[in-house]
Amino acid sequence: MSYEMLREPIGDGIYFSSVTDPKFKHNRLSVSFVLPLSRVGASDNAVVPHLLRKGCRECPDFSSLNARLCQLYGAVLDADVSKYGGYQLLEVSIRGLDNRYALEGEDIVQQCAQLLASVALDPNLDEDGLFPAKDVELERQYVMDTIESQINDKRGYALSRCMQVMCEGEPVAVRRYGYRDTAEKISARSAAEAYRNMLEVAPVEILFTGSGSADKAKEIFRRRFAGTRRSPGNYDPVRLRETPGGLKEKTEEMDLSQGKLVMGFRTGSITTQRQLYGARVFAALFGGTPFSKLFLNVRERLSLCYYCAARFDVATRLLTVDSGVETANKQKAQDEILAQLAAVQRGEFTDEELANTKLLMRGNVRTMTDSLSGLGGWYLTQILRGQNLSPGEDALQIEKVTREDVIQASGGVALDTVYFLRGHSEQEAAK
Amino acid sequence: MKEIKQSSRLGEQYTVIKHSSGLTLKLCPMEGYSSAYALFATNYGSVDNCFKTGEDPDFLRVPEGIAHFLEHKLFESEEGDAFTRYAETGATANAYTTFDRTAYLFSCSENFAQSIDILLDFVTKPYFTPATVEKEQGIIGQEIKMYEDNPDARVFFNLLAAMYHKNPVRIDIVGTVDSIAQIDADILYRCYRTFYNLNNMVLAIAGSFEVDTVLEACDRILKPAAPIEILREQVEEPKEVREKRVEQHLPVAVPLFQIGFKGDAAPSPEENMLGQVEDEILMDIIAGESTTLYRQLYDEGLINATFVGDAMASRDYTLTVYGGESRDPDEVCRRIVAEIQRLGSQGIDPDVFQRTKKAAYGRYVGMFGRVESVAGLMVVTHFSGVEMYSLLDKVASVTLEEMERRLKGSFDTTRCALSVVCGG
Repeated sequence: MSYEMLREPIGDGIYFSSVTDPKFKHNRLSVSFVLPLSRVGASDNAVVPHLLRKGCRECPDFSSLNARLCQLYGAVLDADVSKYGGYQLLEVSIRGLDNRYALEGEDIVQQCAQLLASVALDPNLDEDGLFPAKDVELERQYVMDTIESQINDKRGYALSRCMQVMCEGEPVAVRRYGYRDTAEKISARSAAEAYRNMLEVAPVEILFTGSGSADKAKEIFRRRFAGTRRSPGNYDPVRLRETPGGLKEKTEEMDLSQGKLVMGFRTGSITTQRQLYGARVFAALFGGTPFSKLFLNVRERLSLCYYCAARFDVATRLLTVDSGVETANKQKAQDEILAQLAAVQRGEFTDEELANTKLLMRGNVRTMTDSLSGLGGWYLTQILRGQNLSPGEDALQIEKVTREDVIQASGGVALDTVYFLRGHSEQEAAK
Repeated sequence: MKEIKQSSRLGEQYTVIKHSSGLTLKLCPMEGYSSAYALFATNYGSVDNCFKTGEDPDFLRVPEGIAHFLEHKLFESEEGDAFTRYAETGATANAYTTFDRTAYLFSCSENFAQSIDILLDFVTKPYFTPATVEKEQGIIGQEIKMYEDNPDARVFFNLLAAMYHKNPVRIDIVGTVDSIAQIDADILYRCYRTFYNLNNMVLAIAGSFEVDTVLEACDRILKPAAPIEILREQVEEPKEVREKRVEQHLPVAVPLFQIGFKGDAAPSPEENMLGQVEDEILMDIIAGESTTLYRQLYDEGLINATFVGDAMASRDYTLTVYGGESRDPDEVCRRIVAEIQRLGSQGIDPDVFQRTKKAAYGRYVGMFGRVESVAGLMVVTHFSGVEMYSLLDKVASVTLEEMERRLKGSFDTTRCALSVVCGG
């Protein structure tokens, strides 16, 4: 399969894209609204998909909506808020069984598409155009809980804190659900305004992946969007500084038994596709595989941690390295991570290491096409990057990366921020 | 010995082969897929901490966490670690240990033949030395600490410790820093020789590959294993839960909770596995998203979108767990218990039953569409003695009467425990 994406505009700033393959047993349809991240608006935006998930005019009652999903063979209706670079993605999606498995000949694909269109475009608003007050109250609490529950996942929390310290004041540092103070202010009116604003200005990406025919879904959305008045904006890639302005260091304490070290790096000037692929392969060779420099040295040779990984974010061009280590070993781990970076910069890696890294990356890209969520995520990312590269084409580009490309990419990498989340000092002293 | 298993509902099939080495192969080539997913698994997990073979005079009690430790150690051989070998094939490799099984896996889209060679080779060639064992104690020590800080792991393992008096399912899979310190090369070899006998293992592969490639690799690499009888210490587990409520303090914003119901375990893993299918449907009937109870709990702010239910079953236990975030977990527990009692006395609404069953059907069909879940299902059904497609048949044919019978044994409200992790 080549997995080509068909894409066409069905309205003003509204695109319908589809990728199909008969092997899948389900179809997934998602509607994503893309908005610039802003500190003041993030929470109001974030509550919207969750309010939409509660019901629509056609199915105003939450329980009857869920019963309807059961009847559609357990179709899964989801609300999601995510972040891509400096943008906030508000998404509602539905995943349902393909028609060929329907026991009573139902057209599950069409019914799912209709239901999703109603959820996104015909919510259960009162005569003043507001969401039900009770729902707003519950979902506001949910947004606040989601923000505060970030501390439950220490690794994710530390990564997010590092990003905030590193990019303070920039949209990429804004948290996807906003902040406690902005979430507290969510009201029926502010949520309704966020919803209307989203409908009016956000570019809309509708994506169909699965084994069924996307045509009916496309026509349903074309028709349902026809009545909306829009003046959509564009989304351009975010531009951040390419080199550090000086080393930032921050240590915070929490009640925990293992410290979390996160190092944030800038990656220099990346202007061509070739440089971008060089940076991706560099990050994998440095710390993205179980035979990478970081895994083999920080974990296996020095036995300092269970995980030590590097991740390059194409959207922001930032590189992070994170590891869970004992507080006493923090400096040792940090020194080793920088020593391994210097080694790659000096070209101290074998041709075999490079070939193996590329082989694994290629394999991962191909394997991803075997899952609906993998394929859907792939193409949504393509759209957000303003391109339409198939997984096969991506694999070819990875293949072309040379030793020099990797060394060049590593040369641009410079440490910007060191963030460390540690246990309370008195606790550690008592151990 | 070769047998083909078919599903008329899905129009799909897989092959079961008993290889001359003693190993069972379950092979499911899937058309149109780019990748293959292979699992080489042994019927051995964290609960197997006291055992003997038919030839041993006495039971041997081993340190907690040893099955997981062994999983880490097998990746290393005299020639280097398996990750380095896989690096040349482009496969993504990993392994995991659960309560009742250990599995080594790879996923690949090219060089399948080389990757299957590596998998069969390293799992059948143990190599442990004092130095490599010591190195691993450092790495796993950090893994244990990572889980200590993980509230989702804590709330779950605390629940199991509260529900069970003696059954080793109450012990953390990874063990403790102290227990893994007692592990040495000798004891690893003893566990290995018992549980990694090929007759106690299965090789399950799904996706894009040729059956003959696997057979050829097995013929070449696997050495016949003598049949083995493994006896696990039988524990007398009381019906009641050990503690009704447990609580731990960790930095969390909203308290996390899990409510567990200790089910009546059947004498065979087969019955427990098929019973688990019924338990999953029952969990949806009691508090699934379309129920009145879910709606009330949600509208009163007692639960949020993180609320989920999960059923577990193995050789000698079955349990069901509801979990999520709540500011008043005790009230959530009371309400679920009350709903179960109501269903017990008033019976299950036939409409609710029908739509819940339909949803379960869609969910199960979906499992057969992903290479990793097909391979995983072949492993768990093999160890339970269940034919894989019979799970789907079970969902399609289950009756309201069966559900009402199952409710009494699986959801006895006197055998319920609550585990809470909260801040402060």
